[in-house]
Amino acid sequence: MSYSLTEPSKRQKWFAGTLVILYAVVTMIPLAWIFITGFKSPADAISYPPQVIFEPTLEGYVNLFTQRTRQTQEFLEANPPEEWYDEIVRQYDMVIVGPSKFGERFLNSVIIGFGSTFLSVFLGTLAAYAFSRFKVPLADDLLFFILSTRMMPPIAVAIPIFLMYRELGLSDTHLGMILLYTAVNISLAVWLLKGFIDEIPREYEEAALIDGYTRFQAFYKIVLPQAATGIASTAIFCLIFAWNEYAFAVLLTSGTAQTAPPFIPTIIGIGGLDWPAVAAGATLFLLPVMIFTVMLRKHLLRGITFGAVRK
Amino acid sequence: MSKFFSGLLGLRRGPWEMLATILIALGVFMLMQPFALVAYTYSFIVTLVGTVMFIIVSHFRE
Amino acid sequence: MSETTIERAAKATPPSVARKIRGLSDRAIAWIFVGPSIFLLLAINIFPLIWTINLSFTNFRANRPNREVEYIGLRNYERILTDSDIWLTMQATAHFLFWTIALQVVIGFTLAYLINKKFKGNDLWTTIIVLPMMLSPAVVGNFWTFLYQPQIGLFNYIVSFFTGLEPSSFEMIGSVALAPWAIVIVDTWMWTPFVMLICLAGLRSIPDYIYEAAEIDRASKWRQFWTITVPMVLPFLMLAVLFRGIENFKMFDLVVQLTGGGPGSVTELTSINLKREAFEKWRTGYASAYAIILFVTVFGLASIYVKALNKVKER
Repeated sequence: MSYSLTEPSKRQKWFAGTLVILYAVVTMIPLAWIFITGFKSPADAISYPPQVIFEPTLEGYVNLFTQRTRQTQEFLEANPPEEWYDEIVRQYDMVIVGPSKFGERFLNSVIIGFGSTFLSVFLGTLAAYAFSRFKVPLADDLLFFILSTRMMPPIAVAIPIFLMYRELGLSDTHLGMILLYTAVNISLAVWLLKGFIDEIPREYEEAALIDGYTRFQAFYKIVLPQAATGIASTAIFCLIFAWNEYAFAVLLTSGTAQTAPPFIPTIIGIGGLDWPAVAAGATLFLLPVMIFTVMLRKHLLRGITFGAVRK
Repeated sequence: MSKFFSGLLGLRRGPWEMLATILIALGVFMLMQPFALVAYTYSFIVTLVGTVMFIIVSHFRE
Repeated sequence: MSETTIERAAKATPPSVARKIRGLSDRAIAWIFVGPSIFLLLAINIFPLIWTINLSFTNFRANRPNREVEYIGLRNYERILTDSDIWLTMQATAHFLFWTIALQVVIGFTLAYLINKKFKGNDLWTTIIVLPMMLSPAVVGNFWTFLYQPQIGLFNYIVSFFTGLEPSSFEMIGSVALAPWAIVIVDTWMWTPFVMLICLAGLRSIPDYIYEAAEIDRASKWRQFWTITVPMVLPFLMLAVLFRGIENFKMFDLVVQLTGGGPGSVTELTSINLKREAFEKWRTGYASAYAIILFVTVFGLASIYVKALNKVKER
């Protein structure tokens, strides 16, 4: 390595590294705690002092996915447990009577998340291409208008949307939530994708146009493949938003279309929240986003600044 | 400073945007300050004027 | 690859005519491409917004749709803007805003500064630090109530471990004095990485030769920091502060799960207060006026934000 005036000294690096790692470790404690609480028994979860070493159990996960009732001794003796998860609930004299709503809510999150992501990226790519390549009248105003819709306080928008959806029969439906999340995500999609498409040299398309391609052909044969990385990372950002959203979900859905975030905090056990089950649900719910974040790390900065900071 | 005022008179974007920004900031401060209820009462109108002004003056030439 | 009809037609058309067709269709394509997005935003954002403005002049209640709706002029606005309880929620929001931004800027900038020393493995640690901000605020907020439990909570345990206080002697969520700080702590934990990432981009945008020149001029490190680093990072920092300001001004999910606005109403931020008025008391007209006030404030801040965005983009 060449000697440089501005290269930090070895001691500085070591010092900086130690502090950053210390911060990273502290910041991970709550997340680690969610993870390990999911494998505790309810008694271990609320013992004092908080336990790091304990006997792991899948009780939290079983409770998360099932509904259970208490039964009499005679009934329990007459019906021996069949599977490992039956065994787990037997220690509380309970039997599993059916699946809980968690699976359904999780599936709703998947449907609404992916549906709205697809739609917003599709519409966003078209709009971004137009803003990037054509002279759209009042382009700056339209772009600002699009961005400002994302800044609106969700609760303020929810009042008329609630009334409108009630009239149209869209409340508590998947379609209603997909349209709503698409509307919120379009702003991010347009701004991010415009940045990505701006970076693709126009010459490629112009050459294609001279070769006799139409605009449409130039768009999907030349521009789309070039913008693939940008489209993928935009999609992940949109998905994360729709996945995590809570305010609209809690106000506009109650049953059929309810997503997981309003559901997880309501998992009740004996005497209050069933913390291991809540932690198990949170783990399953947060894990995909963590994986996405690691995948996105190169484009993270771009995503959170609406494409303003490139690098 | 005199450049600022001549910019205002000449309907230039820069100084007018600055003015609108200051109004919005003032309005937001008035909305949340803990000192006088009167300031809170008039905060909305200040923010509104600033915001509308911002939209209009962003169409002035540079 | 066989030629399609369109391709053949395009080849058969003389270039000048083809250009004319394309020239005409460019405009049409632009509208076809932008149209659906604008339509969706009009239907789901602008139409409701106009409806809200209209409702804000009425005494409409959504739980009694059959009652006659009266236009009452600006009375809703008047009532909200002279209500000292709402003024108090604004102050609670201000406390939350001020401290979260202050802490996030200080910690975020420091972290970015340290990471920029380019120690080995800094990429990996940056990714780990960033994780909390991508997660669902409602789910995370809910779990923090567990960490904040007075007797069994990990947070109280760790605090008592380092300070010697009795862990059950203080309640982060239950006490009037501590609850406003409980939400500040969680928001800071969650969003410091955001400020850090943007500051890091700012630091990395400073070319080395500026420092080299300063080094040759024998400017002290301290002087270099205040005359080069800080001014160059400032536009980026502004961006982060404005965005966090807007986001926390309308904060709902994290805090509603953490404290629900309590105890009493010490952590009742404006959005939580608005939700009460709109969806618990069902004073729809009144809440609409309230929503418009918040909306105009956010819109004003957003226009400054876009100005800041463009400034950073030029770099």
